[in-house]
Amino acid sequence: MTAILKVDEIQDTSGNNIINESSDTITIGAAGDTVDVPGTEVKTNKVSPTSGTALQIGDSGDTITIPSGATITNSGTASGFGGITMADQWRITADVTDSGNDLLDANWERVDSYGMGQIGSAMTQSSGIFTFPSTGYYWITFNLRQYTSNTNSRYNHGYIMLTTDNSSYNTASESSHWFHNYTSDFIYASSSASVIFDVTSTSTHKIKFNRNTEGSILTTGDTSRNLTFATFIRLGDT
Amino acid sequence: MNKEWLNRALASMHNKAWFGWRTHDDDGNKIPNDQRMTYENVIVIKDGITKPTEEEVNAKIQELKDAEQAAIDKKASGKQKLKDLGLDDAEINALIGA
Repeated sequence: MTAILKVDEIQDTSGNNIINESSDTITIGAAGDTVDVPGTEVKTNKVSPTSGTALQIGDSGDTITIPSGATITNSGTASGFGGITMADQWRITADVTDSGNDLLDANWERVDSYGMGQIGSAMTQSSGIFTFPSTGYYWITFNLRQYTSNTNSRYNHGYIMLTTDNSSYNTASESSHWFHNYTSDFIYASSSASVIFDVTSTSTHKIKFNRNTEGSILTTGDTSRNLTFATFIRLGDT
Repeated sequence: MNKEWLNRALASMHNKAWFGWRTHDDDGNKIPNDQRMTYENVIVIKDGITKPTEEEVNAKIQELKDAEQAAIDKKASGKQKLKDLGLDDAEINALIGA
């Protein structure tokens, strides 16, 4: 025989709500209670906040798993899922003539023309030494653009140089191009180097850019256009 | 004064970085990026170097232009001499690349 219990409200012995049904809304527990469902699966089509607009899933330290094969469709705004939080770009603003291996130590500016922009905190620079705004993994590219009218130069290297002790620098990436003055006119060349740098400390991990040329070659700079320039993108936490 | 020739001439006067451009005028107003590369905005950033006069800069620009033209002329005369020796254009191109 099937037993049916007909009731609109169940309370504990102190008169607090356990289950209440009113106008097709079933209320379990009361404000401040924790409702524990010890089973392994709860099936429903929608979870909403009982008041206000904030809904929390789990607590700090919990792991929320989206199973393989499941699809999450985001039609709203997602924040805190990583993404690019910092992107910066600097350039040289004036030409410079030199031969040999030298640091690009002057006329760096943060790009600011033709709608160019940045994301997040800026790199800082002093005499060609760049400091990162926060720790993390950074993708750095360096484009070296040069020209000459009358000089042969077998090697013209661009160096990305890193330090992890704020003292000793290593060449972490190198690009090269060359000039053979076939044409008599001004001839131009550029090359690009890149590196991913794990910046675990902003005080010890720095970066600088050198060029090393055989001949006396002009490295180009401009106040409006990116000719010789560096790009910094923070990829994520260290 | 063409900004590229100005930039080029200044860079040819001394090795290493010795000049830059003003970014703000005397009243503290930002100078637009595309208006900074003028003789008036040249600033010297290296000790021991003085700003060249505009006449000196113009003379350097002319010197560079003359050198460029002289190289073009030499190349043309060299090609003509090779032709006079009986080489055709394809052979000359194979030798000098242009």
